Amino acid sequence: MTKIIVITGALALITCAASAHHGWGSYDAAHPVTVNGPILTLSFENPHATITVRGNDKTWTVTLAPTSRMNSRGATQNVVAVGNNISAYGYPSTVAKDEMRAERITVDGKTYEMR
Amino acid sequence: MAGTAPAVFVALEQSGFSAAIRQSLWAYPLANIGHIVFLFVFAGAIAIMDISLLGGFAAADRGPVLARARMVAATGLLGMAITGFVLFSAEAGHLAENPVFQLKIILVAAGLLNAAAYEIWLRRRISALSSGAAMPAIAKITGLLSIAIWITVAACGRGIAYF
Repeated sequence: MTKIIVITGALALITCAASAHHGWGSYDAAHPVTVNGPILTLSFENPHATITVRGNDKTWTVTLAPTSRMNSRGATQNVVAVGNNISAYGYPSTVAKDEMRAERITVDGKTYEMR
Repeated sequence: MAGTAPAVFVALEQSGFSAAIRQSLWAYPLANIGHIVFLFVFAGAIAIMDISLLGGFAAADRGPVLARARMVAATGLLGMAITGFVLFSAEAGHLAENPVFQLKIILVAAGLLNAAAYEIWLRRRISALSSGAAMPAIAKITGLLSIAIWITVAACGRGIAYF
């Protein structure tokens, strides 16, 4: 019986982890950045939509949300379209150079939460 | 990032099939959900088999119990293989380089080898055990190995996103 409880507990832990958010671990939340500029490219694809933005200092790759969430938040392909000006607040990657994960984006005066 | 991945995985990631998965609103999330659902099917059946091999359900006729659980486990495994291939294809080049993914694949192979060894050398002997008979030590080792390997595989599956 103890064995069964231990196994059930282990499986429950794994399941909790499975329903949690993923992928924020390799981003530096202690040093948030805001990138302002025009959208250069758009990849409206899963698992995460990504854009490149020409910021003041360099061109950033900005990781957004899964496409279904982008749509449900109103941040559709037309909102994050190439050429639109965007302000992306988020965290720089500790792994990939010039990449950041957006916590929220603002386009045309409207803010969209990505998390 | 995908600089050093083997060409076959880069080609898979760049294929039309993989692009279709990424561009579909639902293919990726559905495969993701399916992968977890089949994990439940698999883990449930494997738990029954492993508990049995560790000496549980001793009052039962273990041959039929193991045979039924094996069918369910195989179904779960097949489902995970299919949904897993969809998830892998979308990011094949990147995943092939991910150390946690590499560890997971090695452990899946180890888990399958452990199961195959059981099927080849132990199954007939265990199935013939009468109710109440003790499990041989080698069967307990196999069961313990199975639990350890598959739980680590599940943990690695979750860990991929963090490395």
